[in-house]
Amino acid sequence: MSWIDSAIAMLPEHLLLAGIVILIAVEIVAPLRKRGPLLLSLLAVSFAAAAAVWLSANGFAFAAFAGHYSVDPATLLAKAIVLALAVPVLLISRDDVGQGAFPVLLLSSLYGVCLLLSADSFLTLFLGLELMSLPVYALVLLAFRRPQSAEAALKYLVLGGTATATLLMGVSLLYGSSGSLAISTFARALDSPDTMANVAVVLVLVAFFLKAAIVPFHAWAPDAYEVAAIPVTAYMATIIKAGVLLAAVRLFGTTPVTRPMADLLAILPLVSIVWGNLAAMRQQSFRRMIAYSSIAHAGYLFYALLGEGPGRFQAVAFYVLVYGLMNLLAFAALPQNPDDTARDRMDNLKGLFHRDPFAALMIGVAMLSLAGIPPFPGFVAKFLIFKNVIAAGFTLYAVLGLVGSYLGIYFYLRVIQYLFMSAEEPTAVQGSPGRLALGASFICLLGAILLAVFPGWVIDLL
Amino acid sequence: MADTALLNVVLFLPLVAIAAIVALPARQGEPVRRLSLAVMLLQFALTAWLYARFDASAEGLQFETRLPWIAAWGVYYQIGLDGYNLLLVLLTAFLGPLVVAGAFTAIQKDVKLFYAMVFALQFAMLGTFLAQDLFLFYLFWEAMLIPLFLIIGIWGGERRIYATLKFVLYTAFGSILMLAAVIYLVYSLNATTGVTSFAFADLYRSELPLPVQTVLLAAFALSFAIKVPIVPLHTWLPDAHVEAPTAGSVILAGVLLKMGTYGFMKLAFPLFPDATRLLAPVFGTLAVVSIIYGACLALVQTDIKKIIAYSSISHLGYVMLGLISLDLLGIQGAVMQMVSHGLVAGGLFLMVGMVYERCHTRDLAAYGGLAKLLPVYSVFFMVLTLAAIGLPTTSGFTGEFLVLLGAFRAAWPQYVQGAAYPLFVSASAVAGVVLGALYMLWFAQRFLFGPAKAPHLPLVDLNLREKAILASIVVAVFALGLFPDEPMRKTELAARQYQQLVAGVRTGLPVATLRQLPSSPPGSQTRLATPLEKAGTP
Repeated sequence: MSWIDSAIAMLPEHLLLAGIVILIAVEIVAPLRKRGPLLLSLLAVSFAAAAAVWLSANGFAFAAFAGHYSVDPATLLAKAIVLALAVPVLLISRDDVGQGAFPVLLLSSLYGVCLLLSADSFLTLFLGLELMSLPVYALVLLAFRRPQSAEAALKYLVLGGTATATLLMGVSLLYGSSGSLAISTFARALDSPDTMANVAVVLVLVAFFLKAAIVPFHAWAPDAYEVAAIPVTAYMATIIKAGVLLAAVRLFGTTPVTRPMADLLAILPLVSIVWGNLAAMRQQSFRRMIAYSSIAHAGYLFYALLGEGPGRFQAVAFYVLVYGLMNLLAFAALPQNPDDTARDRMDNLKGLFHRDPFAALMIGVAMLSLAGIPPFPGFVAKFLIFKNVIAAGFTLYAVLGLVGSYLGIYFYLRVIQYLFMSAEEPTAVQGSPGRLALGASFICLLGAILLAVFPGWVIDLL
Repeated sequence: MADTALLNVVLFLPLVAIAAIVALPARQGEPVRRLSLAVMLLQFALTAWLYARFDASAEGLQFETRLPWIAAWGVYYQIGLDGYNLLLVLLTAFLGPLVVAGAFTAIQKDVKLFYAMVFALQFAMLGTFLAQDLFLFYLFWEAMLIPLFLIIGIWGGERRIYATLKFVLYTAFGSILMLAAVIYLVYSLNATTGVTSFAFADLYRSELPLPVQTVLLAAFALSFAIKVPIVPLHTWLPDAHVEAPTAGSVILAGVLLKMGTYGFMKLAFPLFPDATRLLAPVFGTLAVVSIIYGACLALVQTDIKKIIAYSSISHLGYVMLGLISLDLLGIQGAVMQMVSHGLVAGGLFLMVGMVYERCHTRDLAAYGGLAKLLPVYSVFFMVLTLAAIGLPTTSGFTGEFLVLLGAFRAAWPQYVQGAAYPLFVSASAVAGVVLGALYMLWFAQRFLFGPAKAPHLPLVDLNLREKAILASIVVAVFALGLFPDEPMRKTELAARQYQQLVAGVRTGLPVATLRQLPSSPPGSQTRLATPLEKAGTP
């Protein structure tokens, strides 16, 4: 029965939608105690993730709305990764923004990500991208705790709007040159001799660069990351990035990238890697530093598209999983304090090992993993990407990218230095992470250990 | 079978120790110290057992474990002992208890973290030596950075942050280029043979064109040369040594620097033999420059630790010279020199640490006539000084002598036999020996003799713990000096294999043929020990 299959295909989305509806209904009818909405949203996300894993494990594949929406095991796995990453985000949200609109907006955005990852046509892609972004503009403003919040949110909104406009322009040119809205037209346009198609490819690519914060389209990221509440920053840094990149992989399909396009695809990410790593060195705000770090990581992720077709999904999926878990681990272990600005200062981390050894170790593991230093899982993820890039013949770009990643080691080590070697700041905010945040860090840590000890098992799965 | 399991136990014992240390509830250090020492002693005992069981006449890996790890990439968890790593693993396990015991009184801050980091370092170092898969090797190789970064950065001296960042950033730069080379190497092996493998044994079979080999060798060599370190990439070493706590210095000098030379011997040179032969004079020259430059700098230092740090640069120059001489005696000498330097420099750093704990200064000018103030200490110090110079009957002699012998017999393919340049290189190395005697003896003279003075009087001579530490080092130094035959027999086959892999052409057969041949059985050629026995007994 095709409508049953359609319903099953969208099961993760349906579960999210059910969660959203119930949350809103309950909010109107009988506002729950503080923990209620969080629990509901956790349930919805976990069930959605479990449904995605279950469908993927059964090899379910179906085109629900022919030409617009389809799922296959890989797509479902991508959704499962994104949804699983949302669990720690929800867990750390309790102490900051765990009530009111946050769960609803987060679930809506997740719905958008899921839609985005299943898009077969640019219509669905656009719908997913917008549904993913719109709630986040609101989320950035949700914890309106600083005067700069409005400015940052506006910056994000305007640049997000620019991305949308650029995407639509590119899509219309693609439609003009091919007469179709299917996303496969993008892959075909990659090495097409038609100038219009090439311009379209560049425009679509720029839209993705904007969404993923690739230099020089990155200006919104440090501001937005800095002023947003920590769970929102964590959401932007991990899930939004994962969604955009996994969608990019879907867009590129398995078409090999050839020379002129490959240069375009490599140079801006390379600049991102270098600039992100350099700019992160001087940051005094933890979230700004993470923002620049995420700019560099977006660079590595786009590098993965240089690799040969089938390996792209594997590389990107593995990378966003590791990268997401590590970022969330760091955010979950941050000292807890109502004073958001004070809490964000890097100086707070000085001597943390003596105040809270567990938190310091967690942040340390996260930083070393993000730096890509073995034996932490970030290394395997980076290795996978650069292996594919070299195998595809872009050795020079791989070497330059690796040297760029070397530049990043310094600022990650600076965090380690603060945590373990510096004397404690007298003005540092006190306070340990809450119980739910600790739970989140345990989940992330377990994931990290699993990925470090049995990377082969996870890679085979992807 | 049981021994194979034992080797894995040796490797993973440090991780168990870390878990145990974390689980210990005590805030005070005493139980942590005792536990650490016990585990380290156990590890040494197990390693010594494996050393005794090692069969000198067997080809290839012994006690080998090979399990698929990342199957999709052809990465295996493959470890084993062979002649290349046997002595270095033993050295690492031998220094472990000494490092732990040596830090008993020196480390009072964050004791649990300190010993956990020492074990993490031990795990990474053993892993690097034991790994027989390039991916695994790289993983362990890089994993060493973090514990040492913390050891220097938390328990180091005043400029510790600068020193530790310099150390990590230096070494990480080498590694990142090596990573690119590793990937390229594996990818080209896949492209030519269709095999995706990181196993050393498979990679030795890769046949790359000379220009590619040269570039890849440069990338590997940069990484290893920074670690050795070879002049001019050495500037991180004095800083790291001076700022590191004693334990860090001992591990750094005793084991870590050997990672570099081991890397050259096991990977860089045999993987790219054609390029190595082409560049042999360059490496030879750099080795001799290291010998002489390190010695000259050691001569003018006023900081005790810096003298020993620069002497390390000089001594590891001999190792490089022996390896690149491609002469069997030279290679075996290099292996012996690695072990000897680990013992001697490790011992000297421990001794500096002991005097520093008493006087809190490393300024040589503040000391004098310690022979009167600390008689027992001075005896040990003199013995290690003489071993560092390479006096016969000590371990230093075996290594240095064989290296020099090998260097004179080296015939780099670019030069006809007896050409001036290789001769010049070897002769300069001999001049280094003279310089070595000069700086060490002058150091000992100013330190131990002359009018007695010290910043803190009265001084208490060595206690039982310190005597035991130093006595075990001195015993090992003499054992290697008097009976070098036994360890050299166990490493002979590896030295032969290395020589064949790198210098295949010199034996008259093309390299490609040689790589498929098993190396010649021992005994079919001149017994190695003969010239040694002649030379070893004065």
